[in-house]
Amino acid sequence: MDNFLQAIDSLTIKFTLTAVLLPLLAFIINLSLPGKQNKASGLISTVAILISCVLSVFVFSKVWNGHQVHERILWFIIGDTRLYAGILLNNLSVLMLLLVSLIALPVHIYSTAYMRGDGHYNRYFAYLSLFCFSMLALVVADNLVLLYVFWELVGFSSYLLIGFWFTRDKAVQANKKAFIMNRIGDIGLLTAIIILFTQFHTFDIPALFGGNTPLAVPVIKNGIWLAPAGSLPVMWQYVACGGIFLAVAAKSAQFPLHTWLPDAMEGPTSVSALIHAATMVAAGVFLLGRVYPMFSGAELTILAIIGCFTAFMAATIALTQNDLKRILAYSTISQLGYMIMAMGVGAYSSSLFHLVTHAFFKCLLFLVAGIVIHQMAHVRDDNRLSIDPQNILNMGGLRKKMPLTFMAALIGGVALVGMPLTSGYLSKDGILIRAFEWSEGKSGWYMLIPVLAVLTTWLTAFYVTRLIVKVFCGELQVLKINPAMKLHIKDGGWQYLLPLALLSAGSLFPFYAANPVTYERSWLITGFLAAGGNVSEGIYHVAVPAVVNILSILVIYGAWVIYTRQKALPFSQTGILWRLSANEWYFDSIYKKYIIKPVLVLGRAAFWLDRKVIDEFINGLAKGVMALSKLAAWTDRHIVDGFLNVLVLAVQATGNFARRFQAGKVQYYLYSMLVIILALFILKTLV
Amino acid sequence: MITLTDFLIVSAALFCVGLYMIVSKQNAIQILIGIELMLNAAILNLVAFGKYDRLNNGGQIFALFAIVLAAATTAVALAIILNVYKQYKTIDPGKIDKLRD
Amino acid sequence: MSLAQLLFYIMAFIAIASALFVASTANLVRSIFMFFVTLFALAGLYVLALADFVAITQIVIYVGGILVLILFAFMLSGKETLNAIGQQPGRFISIKTLPAFLLAGLFLIVLVNMILKADADNLAWVKKAAVTKNMILPGSAMTENIGINLMTKYLLPFEAISVLLMVALIGAAHLSRKGEKQ
Repeated sequence: MDNFLQAIDSLTIKFTLTAVLLPLLAFIINLSLPGKQNKASGLISTVAILISCVLSVFVFSKVWNGHQVHERILWFIIGDTRLYAGILLNNLSVLMLLLVSLIALPVHIYSTAYMRGDGHYNRYFAYLSLFCFSMLALVVADNLVLLYVFWELVGFSSYLLIGFWFTRDKAVQANKKAFIMNRIGDIGLLTAIIILFTQFHTFDIPALFGGNTPLAVPVIKNGIWLAPAGSLPVMWQYVACGGIFLAVAAKSAQFPLHTWLPDAMEGPTSVSALIHAATMVAAGVFLLGRVYPMFSGAELTILAIIGCFTAFMAATIALTQNDLKRILAYSTISQLGYMIMAMGVGAYSSSLFHLVTHAFFKCLLFLVAGIVIHQMAHVRDDNRLSIDPQNILNMGGLRKKMPLTFMAALIGGVALVGMPLTSGYLSKDGILIRAFEWSEGKSGWYMLIPVLAVLTTWLTAFYVTRLIVKVFCGELQVLKINPAMKLHIKDGGWQYLLPLALLSAGSLFPFYAANPVTYERSWLITGFLAAGGNVSEGIYHVAVPAVVNILSILVIYGAWVIYTRQKALPFSQTGILWRLSANEWYFDSIYKKYIIKPVLVLGRAAFWLDRKVIDEFINGLAKGVMALSKLAAWTDRHIVDGFLNVLVLAVQATGNFARRFQAGKVQYYLYSMLVIILALFILKTLV
Repeated sequence: MITLTDFLIVSAALFCVGLYMIVSKQNAIQILIGIELMLNAAILNLVAFGKYDRLNNGGQIFALFAIVLAAATTAVALAIILNVYKQYKTIDPGKIDKLRD
Repeated sequence: MSLAQLLFYIMAFIAIASALFVASTANLVRSIFMFFVTLFALAGLYVLALADFVAITQIVIYVGGILVLILFAFMLSGKETLNAIGQQPGRFISIKTLPAFLLAGLFLIVLVNMILKADADNLAWVKKAAVTKNMILPGSAMTENIGINLMTKYLLPFEAISVLLMVALIGAAHLSRKGEKQ
């Protein structure tokens, strides 16, 4: 029996490895294919992800609610520290594994049609496969170091894909912004990993955060953070949690690091669908799911506050935006805020449930947006207009021309609002109910969080309705420019419709629970009960869904009325609130003024320092050396050579003098003779 | 009384002047004159000592011979100087140095 | 100081002074003419040394023969020669003549030292000569003495000198003949 289990386990590991590494193989093959628009690259990537998907289903079925599979090998040793590389498969891992491959598959099929005719088809699929590989590897990594590696790699793939059309200046700016903000988060994550290692001397995730006695649960006495291996001042625990907050905020676009996500819409829409709606931005929530035990009560409250605030803020901004993708981007930020808030108030399982359902309906909405934008771009090109194909004010009445797309959009929109019979209803209501339960019994200020969350729901209802009505209902606004223009708008081919169908199926309730109205019995929720979600019965379970949903229906009706009747808009377009929303709460300008400008000034100052001070110093040294060399040359020429010259002159003079005595001059001969005689005489007389 | 020593000193002075002329003059005829001066100094010496030898009178006889020989010497020397001038176009003994090493 | 001594000092002074002038001047003609004076002064000194015949011989042969010979040889040598020989550069006391100066000076010092040390007046034979009447006195007739001695005791040198003079004559004549045309 044990052998059998072991065999099954090793098979599971093999399947996981294959599922993770196939996209990497596709990446390498795509890069080495000849030409830039080779159709084969799309096929290779899609086949790779299809196989990964099938293998993930198998792995999921084996591990879900079964026992955890953890395999690792020794990677390297530094001093006393041993670093392992391995795979951890527990409920969270296999759920994410399945989700990522399941969402990636429709996106790949969609991309083969969407990117047809693009000049860099090969490169697109290569990057897409790279991303899939990194995301899949991120969710099965078993230690913090490996997690960090793939966290960074995911950010890097996102950078590559946002700036895919790198000849556009806006795209380049956007990917730079995304990368820098992600980097800030990475610093936080790295700090947290280092602190955890210092305290617990291990990187292993199951040891730290898993099982019944996670190491990382903070034990604090008298301001000292205690651990089995040692202790640190309690401040480091706060710093570690702060680092995790930063990483989550960067990756999942929470306040204050959320401004990169709307700009990241410069990338292709399929990329936005996969990365910035469904999977990469969910990595932050996934991280929270992994390290959940290390947060203390106060830290969880801070999480809840940040998540709630972000959700509310993003919803208010989405009300006044006119760019289709931007509305969806802010909607993503808002829903991610919900997930973070859910983690904060203790609804662990609901948060992860919402992650899954949000992935489906947001991806669906983005794919729909891609189709609509494509059609509007055709209209523009056919009639040589200069409209922005992404502006919803130019659209309208498309439901008659693209009925199937309209249906898909409707399903996604309703799921986003959280109406009953959709999956979104199940997950969102779970969060709201838990929020109310959490705030009960605490002081009045805590009540703000569930209230704001509910308000956000109604705002969501409003802007979603606005979106659908403006795009699909009414009259096509662009016809007002020229009523006789030619239009060739229709639904796309099977490559567009099949993904939409798949994702729509995932947005409805049957996948998740037998009962469309109550969520507690969903298999997802029960799978995570042990990990910290508590589900209890209470008044809130009935009151909250009822109130929220009835009022949502009223809001939807009201918005529909406003936007179809085309009467004068009831809200002032110039009031302070409208301007605050339309300008995205002025975050970008604040950052630019107070953060970017000082950094640029610092950069310029450093450059000035380098050029003027350091280079001047080096030049001064060089000048000094040159002066020294000139001095040495002078010394050599005048003193050393001068000494030699004096010697030479002396020898010359002596030679010249002595030469005379052999020059044949008779007087010199006589002179020398007489000198000797005189010398003899003197010697004789003296001696 | 004129002592012998006075004569000897005068003769020594004349001799040294003649020596100076020989060694330092750049004119062959002046060297010849220097030689004459030295000869005259020697003759004066002879005559001075000859005062004390009346019987043999060697001093004065020798002086006579010396004067005559000086004449012969001068004649031949002048002939040589003339020839040297013809050959070298100069009588500067410093410039006649073909017999050098 | 007797008259003889005074005369001696004057003669000696003239001789030495003119000899110095001969040595110092660069002009050849001037040095030859000052040599005249030196020779006359020397003749005077011979007279004071009681050698009158020698003095006359000196004047006749030296001054009248040798010096005139030199003068003629110099003057009859042609215009360029006169110009070339006539003026010689250089001063009496200069860096070029300093070695000669030193040499002559040192010689003088050595000679004078030797003379003073030798103390010629007190030599044995000199003293004996005064005693044995071998000294020439101012009144004695020396010419006869010279004649007798020349023909008896010094006949060989006498004849030899005449032969020598002939040889010198022939030699000088030959040496100074005009060379063949080339």
